Amino acid sequence: MATVLLIIHGLLAVALLGAITHQTLSTLAPARAQPGSFFGRFRAVPSASYANAIVVLYAASTLLGAVVYLYFRVDVRPALEQAGHWQTLGLFDIKEHFAAIGLALLPAYWVCWRQPSADEPARTRAALTSILAFIVWWSFLIGHVMNNIRGFGS
Amino acid sequence: MTSSHASRRFAFAYATAFAVLYVVALKLDLALFTVYPSLGVVLLGTHHSRDVADPALGFAVPAIYWYGWTTTAALGALMFALIATVFPQRWTRRLWPGWLCVVQVAAMVACVYFTMPWFRL
Repeated sequence: MATVLLIIHGLLAVALLGAITHQTLSTLAPARAQPGSFFGRFRAVPSASYANAIVVLYAASTLLGAVVYLYFRVDVRPALEQAGHWQTLGLFDIKEHFAAIGLALLPAYWVCWRQPSADEPARTRAALTSILAFIVWWSFLIGHVMNNIRGFGS
Repeated sequence: MTSSHASRRFAFAYATAFAVLYVVALKLDLALFTVYPSLGVVLLGTHHSRDVADPALGFAVPAIYWYGWTTTAALGALMFALIATVFPQRWTRRLWPGWLCVVQVAAMVACVYFTMPWFRL
């Protein structure tokens, strides 16, 4: 059961990673001319249209991560502690904290994208998106490293 | 006061308050509840193992505080956000929206700082 949940958690994270990276690049470096290169096409997306998907994917991924965390705490973490993987566990703790902060940031992020205010600078929206993108990338990479050390079922 | 303005104030206040309260909950270890997944037990408040005879029991009965810290911060932030929606719009309009981002980054840095002991083991 834990393995199935972990795989779904990973798949959601991959989709979220793609969506937030598209949106962040299109926000920070929008394509001005007709995109010719792969990178140009990658950032030439309608960034606002990603907001709903990102909110749903982030919430679902975090919720699943919270469920998988139960198995992690019982089956995986004690073994990592005994093996002395303290730094990796520290990085994973940071992932937990970042994920919680990012989850609470979602309503403000959604409002900025779906109900933009005229007196609000676009920088706020770009900054919020960048923070969320950083959290998603951090969580993805650390989760991946953690799973590579000792995956479920090992 | 339109619903759009109210929802904006709610969302901004919630995110800001959550980030601050999460750091406070983490620093002061204020978990609303503690989960013992191997036992299937949830206890109200923060509980640490007091077994001085065999501290290694912490490995056998691991506790989860993250759910509790998150819930503490979420409920506290909800109160702040509801209060923020009551304020007149002209009061909150003066606030620089960038504070939201500054507080998030500061909270993340604080979380990293509080996790530093892991890297000294």
